Amino acid sequence: MLSDEEDEEEIDFFKQHSENEESIHDIMNSGEENDNFNNGTSGESDNDEYIAGDSLDDDDLDSRDYVEKVFDDVSSESENTQENYVIGADGNPRKILPEIDPVYDSDSSTENPTNTVGNIPMEWYDDYPHIGYNIDGKKIMKPAKGDELDKFLENMEDPDSWISVKDNLTQQNVKLTNEELEIIHRIQMGSYPKQDYDPYEPTVEWFTSKTEVMPLNATPEPKRRFIPSKWEAKRHEYLTKLFTIQPVKIMKLVRAIRQGHIVPGKTQIQKPRFYNLWNDTDQPHEEHPMLIPAPKTKLPDHEESYNPPPEYLLTEKEKKMWEEMDPEDREKNYIPQKYSCLRAVPAYNRFIQERFDRCLDLYLAPRVRRNKLNIDPESLIPKLPNPKDLQPFPTSLTLSYDAHTGRVRCISIDPTGLWLISGSDDKTIRLWEIITGRCVKTWEIEDIVHSVAWCPIKEVCAFAFSCTNKVGIISPTCICEEEVAISTTQYVTAGFDNTQQNVEQKSKLVDWSKPTNQQNLNGILVIIQHVHDKTIKQIAWHKKGDYFSTTAPDAGNQGILIHHLTKHQTQQPFRKTRGIIQSAMFHPIKPLFFVATQRYVRIYNLMKQELTKTLQAGVKWISSLDIHPMGDNIIIGSYDKKLCWFDLDLSSKPYKTLRYHTKAIRNVTYHKRLPLFASCSDDGLIQIFHGMVYNDLLQNPLIVPVKILKDGHQVVNSLGVLDCEFHPTQPWIISSGADHTINLWT
Amino acid sequence: MGKLKQKGKAGAATNYINRNQALKKLQVSLADFRRLCILKGIYPREPKNKKKANKGSTAPTTFYYTKDIQYLAHEPVLQKFREHKIFLRKLTKALSKRELSIAKNLEKNRPVYKLDHILKERYPTFTDALRDLDDALCMLFLFSTFPATDKINSETVTNCQRLCAEFQHYIIKTKSLRKVFLSIKGIYYQAEVKGQIINWLAPYQFSQQVPDDVDFRVMLTFLEFYQTLLGFVNFKLYSDVNLVYPPKLDTSKDEGAAGLGALIIETTNSLATLSTSSHNNEDINNNDTIKEEMVRKLESEKRLKTLSKKLATIKDQGNTTSEIQPDTTKEPEVISNEEIIDEFTSSDSKYQQDVSSKTYTYSDIQNASIALTEFENLFSNCIFYLSREVPRYSLEFIIRTFGGQVGWDETCGVGSPFNESDDRITHHVIDRPTSGHRFLSRAYIQPQWVYDCVNARKLLKIEPYQPGKTLPPHLSPFVEHKEGDYIPEFEGDMEEKELRNEQEIKKDTSNEETIIPLITSDEPYNEDIIHQMELEAEATGISFSMYQEKQDQLAKNQKIQNTNNTKVQQPSIQTITGKKRAAKEIEEKEVKELAKIMMTKKQKTLYNKIQYGKKKRQEKVENLQLKIIKVTINYSLPLRAGDFFESFWIGEPIIIPLGLVTRGEGVSVGVGVGVGLGVGFAVGVGADACKSFALGVGGAPKL
Repeated sequence: MLSDEEDEEEIDFFKQHSENEESIHDIMNSGEENDNFNNGTSGESDNDEYIAGDSLDDDDLDSRDYVEKVFDDVSSESENTQENYVIGADGNPRKILPEIDPVYDSDSSTENPTNTVGNIPMEWYDDYPHIGYNIDGKKIMKPAKGDELDKFLENMEDPDSWISVKDNLTQQNVKLTNEELEIIHRIQMGSYPKQDYDPYEPTVEWFTSKTEVMPLNATPEPKRRFIPSKWEAKRHEYLTKLFTIQPVKIMKLVRAIRQGHIVPGKTQIQKPRFYNLWNDTDQPHEEHPMLIPAPKTKLPDHEESYNPPPEYLLTEKEKKMWEEMDPEDREKNYIPQKYSCLRAVPAYNRFIQERFDRCLDLYLAPRVRRNKLNIDPESLIPKLPNPKDLQPFPTSLTLSYDAHTGRVRCISIDPTGLWLISGSDDKTIRLWEIITGRCVKTWEIEDIVHSVAWCPIKEVCAFAFSCTNKVGIISPTCICEEEVAISTTQYVTAGFDNTQQNVEQKSKLVDWSKPTNQQNLNGILVIIQHVHDKTIKQIAWHKKGDYFSTTAPDAGNQGILIHHLTKHQTQQPFRKTRGIIQSAMFHPIKPLFFVATQRYVRIYNLMKQELTKTLQAGVKWISSLDIHPMGDNIIIGSYDKKLCWFDLDLSSKPYKTLRYHTKAIRNVTYHKRLPLFASCSDDGLIQIFHGMVYNDLLQNPLIVPVKILKDGHQVVNSLGVLDCEFHPTQPWIISSGADHTINLWT
Repeated sequence: MGKLKQKGKAGAATNYINRNQALKKLQVSLADFRRLCILKGIYPREPKNKKKANKGSTAPTTFYYTKDIQYLAHEPVLQKFREHKIFLRKLTKALSKRELSIAKNLEKNRPVYKLDHILKERYPTFTDALRDLDDALCMLFLFSTFPATDKINSETVTNCQRLCAEFQHYIIKTKSLRKVFLSIKGIYYQAEVKGQIINWLAPYQFSQQVPDDVDFRVMLTFLEFYQTLLGFVNFKLYSDVNLVYPPKLDTSKDEGAAGLGALIIETTNSLATLSTSSHNNEDINNNDTIKEEMVRKLESEKRLKTLSKKLATIKDQGNTTSEIQPDTTKEPEVISNEEIIDEFTSSDSKYQQDVSSKTYTYSDIQNASIALTEFENLFSNCIFYLSREVPRYSLEFIIRTFGGQVGWDETCGVGSPFNESDDRITHHVIDRPTSGHRFLSRAYIQPQWVYDCVNARKLLKIEPYQPGKTLPPHLSPFVEHKEGDYIPEFEGDMEEKELRNEQEIKKDTSNEETIIPLITSDEPYNEDIIHQMELEAEATGISFSMYQEKQDQLAKNQKIQNTNNTKVQQPSIQTITGKKRAAKEIEEKEVKELAKIMMTKKQKTLYNKIQYGKKKRQEKVENLQLKIIKVTINYSLPLRAGDFFESFWIGEPIIIPLGLVTRGEGVSVGVGVGVGLGVGFAVGVGADACKSFALGVGGAPKL
């Protein structure tokens, strides 16, 4: 079925083509006719030429050429006879062609009649006296045919009759050529008609007998090949419109033109270009975030005036600067000018350029909606309680303790708040009376004192100091009562018996040794010699005064040691340390131990011997650590100028990170009683904060900066305040600096 | 579990499309795409995250919003562009084959596109169109002064001129011009049309110098759109005020360079066909006037209590309307009366509500409207004559907008209603130092006077603007001075300044509100009471220190008052308070510094940014102030104290200003050092920069 249909279509298609061809022929003819007609009647020759030209233009047939050719042929013929010229309607001479004589008298008539009917079965013409028609429409008569006798006679007369054959097309006898005779002879012989035919040629496999991997395509032709071209159809339509207008339609058009309905050559009346485009019912665009209207151009200010106030004019220097600047960087794209009168104002020569730039901005510049800040800068500053309301806190420098000749690295205030010890680079430890500033006693130590720390219990009047890998316990007997001195000595030295028992076990870490006599006179009670030879940077006491820890950052796993004073025992809490240990501290209440490494603060439970928490400060290098007396909050200072406050109940990230010092923070410290904390830095400043911690768990700690203590310490070799500590009872702070001084701020 | 999200299938990756992709999608050439973007008002976007929008690349790319491009794909104009392309191809083919008749035929059927639908899409309401009129007007005013070149044909130029003139006529008719400004670039105008502020810049009347580096294809595409826009806007504007659009063009006048006068503006009322509609409009207008009068009466009679009284007044009003409009037939009047009743009652209640809800009182609104009408008829009593050297088109437009009459020299163009010797002329605008013949009956002024009057919203004094005189500076009316900005001195607004000062004083007095009652030392010292008050204060959220401060301040105020009353001057007390104040300032500064510590990083950067901007502005102002001193000293010394200095300096000294000492209201004092043949000092006191009142004192050692 399908194939049938396709066949039909094919037929249709071809039919159409043939029709097309016919129509084209028609068109050609009509065109010629038209031409002739118009030539005769002096019509609009231009127009007709155009039509004729147009019609065949696309058929790759130049009609004009064609016409001319015909014309030439005719003229060449007529040249022989006569030449008649007439002035035509277009003003050009025109040839008058001779009438065609219907009488057969030309030479061509003597020629053998040709076949005009084509290769058709000739029996169709059997009943007629003629075969086909000549070009003038006359019948071409059959050549006369004699009867059988005539035929016989002819055969007899003509010597070649035996080798002639009747041609069915022309109805005449044709004498066969020698070649043809040869072929007949060969056929009669039963051999091949052609002499040079080789029946045993090697075969050429046009279509291979083998199965190909990529066979030649044998799919049936697709349907689209048989769908007539639209373009051709259009062409056809166009051409028919141009040339084969039906006479009825022509008459209609003529009538319309006569009556004035159609005015040829006149354009259509245009509708008014503008009309009311907007109504009252129009709805505006809905607000869409992606719809950004173009920003308006900036309105001019006084500078742009033709007669601005004189202060707006540029000075020579500013003018030069303006000219040197890139056009994009210029704040204004013109130089302010002053003209005495309006008449003097010239044309602005960049006007078009600026308009063009604006155009470019409108269609090329990406648009972004930018929120313009309309904030009062003061509103950005947080509203804090007035420092006056948060008093007391240290506000001014009252006393300076000057005796050291080196950097004062460390200070410590005794639990009663009367005495101060300081360790310095001049290899001395000094004891000061805080209120008077009198240096009570000086101990000369063999090396730089890195850390000093009073024993936190009042019953024991002793402090620990560290220099190189040694830690010593000193009891300043001169300042305490005799009873206390004795009890202290007992407290500290009681462990010697104990040590001797366990000497083998503990000898690995430290050596608890008795001081020499000279040292004993100075008040040194015990010297703890560490096995490692690294400097001990920090000493931290447990609240009960029985234990203290020493920190030596470079000593690897022996970096932190916990010493039991009464028993003269030393423990190594960590088999392995992670990172460089900066500082270590005991929790004031719970059995927790805080270790600050370079980046993290780790909290260990000493009872369970496990890590409970790791605090991530987000700083590069922690310098110091302090724990709030309540124990739930800690602060750390870092060498990268930051101070972090951790609320242990909240998270392992800082509750607040403050960055206000311009140099590294050396130390941070809490006040034991008052809600105060402080930080001291290499920029020579001490910053006092009010840090209130509430018992209510829901309320976050309140941190308010209250005072910056300036002008106390000078920065020496880019080192400022090295240590600071609050007075245990009073709102005072004592700081020590690299400029060899210790200051008391009240 | 939901479907896994694939990368590049949602969000910015699909929301944005780069230009090449857009071109490929629309299948147009770049030039066509640009034209389409201009016509449709589509612009590139800046995605928040370029990487996400550009498949991970951060190369600089132009992004378009994908929906915009989709929206372009359905544009009928796009199809027309394609048709046009084909048309051009055919035409060139025909021409190259010299088939002129075919070419002619093709040309006749050239594809034409319309922009009406685009206009409606881009500006769905009329106000939208008005809002975007600034650029259109600037462009058209520019092109109306263009020479016809190979880049732009004369038809476009004349069309631009016509559209501009039509728009100006509307402005004149509705008196909606608000501000004008003569700048070095051209003349800025600001008009208020239907509540929208429209600014435009018209170049001075010179033939434009066409630069080479401007792509006129882009400009012309914009111009094409703007022409359509302004045409439609003009139509709407004209039809809203019952004018015939397009107005007829008087060709003879146009050829004589009559400018605005060449267009004949007609109202639709004259047309018989539209009489009914206009009639209705007038009715509405009448209603408005009636309402106004009613409300006024309300003011005077306080309130009408009974309906009968109301009706009586309405009848009165009705009579007045009939007097005003005798043409109106009776039937519609009755209807209108009924309407009035309804509207009246409703407006009454509304009026009451308004009074209760808004702070604007009726009298305020009334005053404002009166001021506006006064401003709109600024030149109603003036008759101007323009000399040939002044910019006639601009001045004619402005003067006519503000109700003045204007005539001009014949050489400027035809159509002047009167000539120079007319007796009625009150102002003669002249831009020459002297004029030959002077009429005593009229004032001779420089053109700046007209512009300054419009900006000052009143007729200014004529003296400073007389021909040949140095003009006062022409200031921009568009500048809105913020706090801390530099405000140039100008004689024209001295009166205003005085007024402003008075107002400020009033404000200061009204601002003094005492929340906390003052405890004076005269009263018996009662600690309990004080404590009580402190507690109260704390309860209201005032901290103790603030409370104390307030107390201090109040006490101080009272003291000052006391001293004022007794007129006893105690300088010592004042200095003490001064010191205290300084200490307090320092303290406050410190507190601020401390509070800054607690700012977050974000706040800190923001704060610093703002401070940077502030500092820059401050620097600018200081620079201007410094310059004014320089100017003051430079101008004043040789003028006023020239005799005094001649003995010291040979020739004119160069004076280097050192700084501004003080700068109060209208007086600035600066110190400078003069260097000439001899070294000395100079102190300049200037009333203002441009005025000649300034005083210089100087000295230098004699050589």
